[in-house]
Formats: sequence, structure tokens, C-alpha cells
Amino acid sequence: MTASSSNLMIEARGVEKWYPNGYHALRGVDLSVHRGEVVVVMGPSGSGKSTFIRTFNALEDFQKGTIRIDGNSLGNDLRQIDAIRREVGMVFQQFNLFPHLTVLDNLVLAPTLVRGRPRAQVQAQALSLLDRVGIKEQAQKFPGQLSGGQQQRVAIARALCMEPRILLFDEPTSSLDPEMVREVLDVMRQLAHEDITMVVVTHEVKFAEQVADRVVLMAEGSVVEEAPPAQFFKNPNHERTKRFLDQIL
Amino acid sequence: MNPLLRRLRADLFATPADGALSLGLIALFSAAALGLVQWASQKAQWAVIQANSTLFAVGRYPEAQQWRLWLLTALLTAATGLSWGLLRSHPRADRDGQLWPRNDRLVLGLLAAVAVWLPWALRLAPALQSRWWLLAALLAATRWLAGRFGSHLSRPMLRLFPLVWPLLYLIGMVLISGGLGLMPVSPSQWGGLLLTLLSASFAILLCFPLGVLLALGRRSDLPLLRWTAVIYIEFIRGAPLITLLFLGQNILGFLLPGGLAPDRIWRAAWVLTFFAAAYLAEAVRSGLAAVPKGQAEAARSLGLSYPQTLLRVVLPQALRVALPAMVGQFISLLQDTTLLSLIGLLELLGVARTVMANPEFLGHNREVYLTLALLFWTCCAALGLGSRALEKRLDPQTLSRSATRP
Repeated sequence: MTASSSNLMIEARGVEKWYPNGYHALRGVDLSVHRGEVVVVMGPSGSGKSTFIRTFNALEDFQKGTIRIDGNSLGNDLRQIDAIRREVGMVFQQFNLFPHLTVLDNLVLAPTLVRGRPRAQVQAQALSLLDRVGIKEQAQKFPGQLSGGQQQRVAIARALCMEPRILLFDEPTSSLDPEMVREVLDVMRQLAHEDITMVVVTHEVKFAEQVADRVVLMAEGSVVEEAPPAQFFKNPNHERTKRFLDQIL
Repeated sequence: MNPLLRRLRADLFATPADGALSLGLIALFSAAALGLVQWASQKAQWAVIQANSTLFAVGRYPEAQQWRLWLLTALLTAATGLSWGLLRSHPRADRDGQLWPRNDRLVLGLLAAVAVWLPWALRLAPALQSRWWLLAALLAATRWLAGRFGSHLSRPMLRLFPLVWPLLYLIGMVLISGGLGLMPVSPSQWGGLLLTLLSASFAILLCFPLGVLLALGRRSDLPLLRWTAVIYIEFIRGAPLITLLFLGQNILGFLLPGGLAPDRIWRAAWVLTFFAAAYLAEAVRSGLAAVPKGQAEAARSLGLSYPQTLLRVVLPQALRVALPAMVGQFISLLQDTTLLSLIGLLELLGVARTVMANPEFLGHNREVYLTLALLFWTCCAALGLGSRALEKRLDPQTLSRSATRP
């Protein structure tokens, strides 16, 4: 790793989470992500990988351990949580576009409301972002009129419109028809070459091999293996990783 | 064959059994309709309505002050025409609307016909008849103006326009009750349709925010808030409205700050409001439950605060889902105002009962009740039509089904 420790964007130490029903979802998870890094998190379902990255923008709370986002520690201070969320974008499995707003307004809403930027300026930026993800012509349509792949690209553009420093992807291609997975991964590949920090929960092995700086395997609520993709897929250290790879490859 | 005939044949006479059923029903309906029309045009004595039309409209509102109500009606008509025209000249971003769809022309023509025929049938004084014509003309004119020039309005102006309605409500309150230099008219002199619409609109306007707050309270994470909302809703829903109305007459004077419930009419209006709010809260709650959790999560992850998430993302979707149920609630609220006659208020039913008790018009209950039914039906139909139009405009989903996929 080339980045120095002052470049730590995400630093999670001993994070533990119990759900209200007593289920122990995270069992002391450690993870460090540096500026501009792309980290792919893999693991069987129920391993806690989604729960874990959702703690980074406080969509999930946790009971033990610390998480620092760009140096700011995540606690119970609501104002600090709002401040952190502004810098951490998220792309969801179910897209979660706002169906009552046009595509353009989906992008414009947060920057005008949260950052107080002038509408005309945000609109121009939104259109150029939509252009970048290849759906500028659809700006005036409603999300329900777009295909799944298009919706997910809008969702990425919406997150980018807030100019976040960190972008989290929670299984962004899992609910897409196979022929639409590629258009979304292409957009994500482009992003990976920029200096935005990305944490991606996904099952797309090829994407991880090509784009990730590091691949992390989570199982039963903890990190099992953490390695550069070449090593992770060809020569993993742990038996658990081998078993997991046998199942998905 | 004529396409209309062909369609009728396919719809009504596809099989012999269909045909027999259709014929039977047509015979039944036409017999009933014929009987009603015959009775209404020949046997019925409409003098009871003609002689009391003012009483039905405004109760014992002083005649010398009735120009205020005419003015209010004119203002409301103009606001309706302007809103209507603006809606048509600003179709939604993703579709092209017509400026004068066929239904609009139809409705306007129908209203004009009613404005000419009804005052004549009621044998109103010629001066009053012409006022109704003027109102119809005003509606058409404002509708045309807003449709023709509405697109020149700037965006902020357009956003501010809906504020005309609450403003008009306040102006209406002053015009009706007096003050600010106008002679006061005490609420005990309001009556008929005026009182019905006033108490219903008051309750509808106020129960809406109250219902939304209650629904949010019921879904809140704070136990105290949640339990307050639950207890309130369950208490109100567990008691018949008429009991609450009687109760309200006796205790609201203590419960509300002095000026808010000065007399029987306002107390009754508040009870209606509190009553409707509990039911509305349940409608809104079902709407809130229909918004996927991911919507709020997406909004929060973009940095929106809780109130911003609620106002800009969750509520617009929840209210859209709850709209049909809410309008159903508003319609039954409008009909519930008839209960006010039981606590001695002269709203439509109250006026009707005094008229029927008048020895001069004994034995004309049928005419009176039919008129009442028609009046209520008209108001409810208007509410229903408005809500359906709103639903259509707010629903991106129905749109995507008809739109071609890219």
C-alpha cells in the first residue's frame, strides 16, 4: 500500500453489532481504507458485509468499537452524522431513486437542499453527470420509466452530485437483469480510476479482479481474509476463503 | 356497422344470457328513472324549495349583508378558474397536455347550463339570476385567461399561487363573520349550505395537518409520543361522533383557549376536526407504511435531515398513496356535518327540518330530502372528481405504464 496513514479515509476498529433481537451481526470487524482506494467486500449472504458498510454512514448503529470517517469519529451526535453523510455517498441494491421526482430532480434535490447551492448551477452539474453515465436524454423522465440498469446509473450520478469523498456500493448489480449488469459496472470502472474512495460489496469477481486494490472476505460477522485481488483469487491464505471461492467460481 | 353500435353489442349482448340480463337491467333502470322524472316534473310541488332557497343557501344570514357572500363566491369562482387554467397551461414535465381537453369543455358547458337553468327554476329575482350568469362567465373567463397567459408566469410566481387558497379562506372568514370594518354577523345567524360548507372545510383543512402529525407520532421511536398518538386515535375511534359532539358542547369551552371555541358552532367544528383527524391519521399511516424503507435511507445517505427527508421524500409519496382513503374521509366528514342538526345547529339538514315543520309546507318532505341529497351528492362528486384529477397528476407510476420504454 502506497498511502500513508494520514490518508486514512475509513478506519474501523473492533466494530461489534447486535440486532435488537440479539443476533450478533458484526463480531469485532477491523478495516482500513485509504484515500482513492477501491476495496471490494465479498462474502456469503448473512456474513454481515452489507451491515458493515452501512455503519459507515450511520444507516446501521453499532454497540462496540470505533469508526472514523476521514478522521471524524462516528458517534451519537446527530449533527456529526449529518456532516459525515454529506461526504459519504451510497448506491443501493434496490436503486432507491425517488419515484415522485424526475431523474434530474433526483440529482438536484440534495445539493440544493443540503449544501444550499443555487439550483441552476446544480442542474448544469447534474446534466453533465447524467451525460457521463450515458443517460442525459432521460433527464426529464421519472425513474419508473427507466430500465433497471439506467436507474442504477442515475443512482450513481445522484450520489456523485453531492461530490462525496467516499462512495459505498451495496450490491449494486444484484437486482439487475444480467444484460444490464455490464453498463453499471462500466460506470463503476470509470469511477475507480478517479481519486474517489470506493467500498463495494459485490459478487462480481471479474470486477474485483480488474478494479479492486484489495479484496476482503467477510464471514460470520468478521473479516476472514484481506488481500490484493491476484492473491485473493489465486492463492488465498485461509481455508474459509477457498471454500467461498469454490462456491462462486 | 357503426363502431358505437358494435361496442354496445359486444358489451351488452355478447351471449343470450348477457342480452337477457342487459335488457332486464335496462328495463328496471328506465322504469325507475321514468318514475322519478315523472314525479319530479308533474306531481312534486317545488314551491317549498323555491320559497326557501335563501334559507337553504345561507340560513338566517342578514339580507343586507348577503353581498359579502356573493363577493366571496365570486372570489372563489375566480380562484377556481385561475387554478384550473394554470393546471392546464402547465402540464407535467414529461407529457404534453392539451389546453382545452374535451372533458374541460364539457364540464364548463354543464356548469354554464346549470347556472342558467337552476336560478330560473328556483324563480329567483331576475337580479339574482343574472348574478349566477355572471359567476359562470367569470369562471370561463378566468379559466381562459390563466390557460392563455399562464405559461408567461415565472416559476416563483407559480409556486406562490397555491397560497391564494389559504389566503382566500382567511378573507372568507372575515367576509362571513365581519370585523375589520364590516358589520359583525354572529355565527348563530349562519346556516344552510353556508354552515355545512364552512364547518366541513374548517374541519378538512385543520384535520389534515393534525392527522399527519398523529400518524407520524404513531410511528415515532419515542414511546411517549407514540403512546399519546395511539391513545388519542383509539379513544376517538371508539366513540360515536354524536356523543363527542354533545360532549364537546359541554367541555370544549374549558379545554381550548378561550377565543378558539367561543360558541356552539365553533365547538362543533373543532369536534369534527378532532374526530376526522383520528381517522385521517390511520389513512396517512397506511400511506407511510407503503413507502419503502429504502426511500428514507437514500435520502438520509444523501445528507438530508430528518425533517427534509420527511417533507421532500417520504410524505409526498405517502400522501399520494393515502389520497383515496383521505378523500373518502373528507367525504364522510362532509356528510357527518348533518349531525350538527342534532345539537340544534341549522346546517342543511337543520334548515330542512325547520322548513318541513313549517305548517305552510307540510307534507313536502320528499322534495326537501331529494334536494338535500342532490346538494350533498354534488359536493361529494366535486371532491371525488378533484381527488381523481390530483391522483392522476401525482402518479408517475400510471404514467410509466402508458409511456413507451426507451
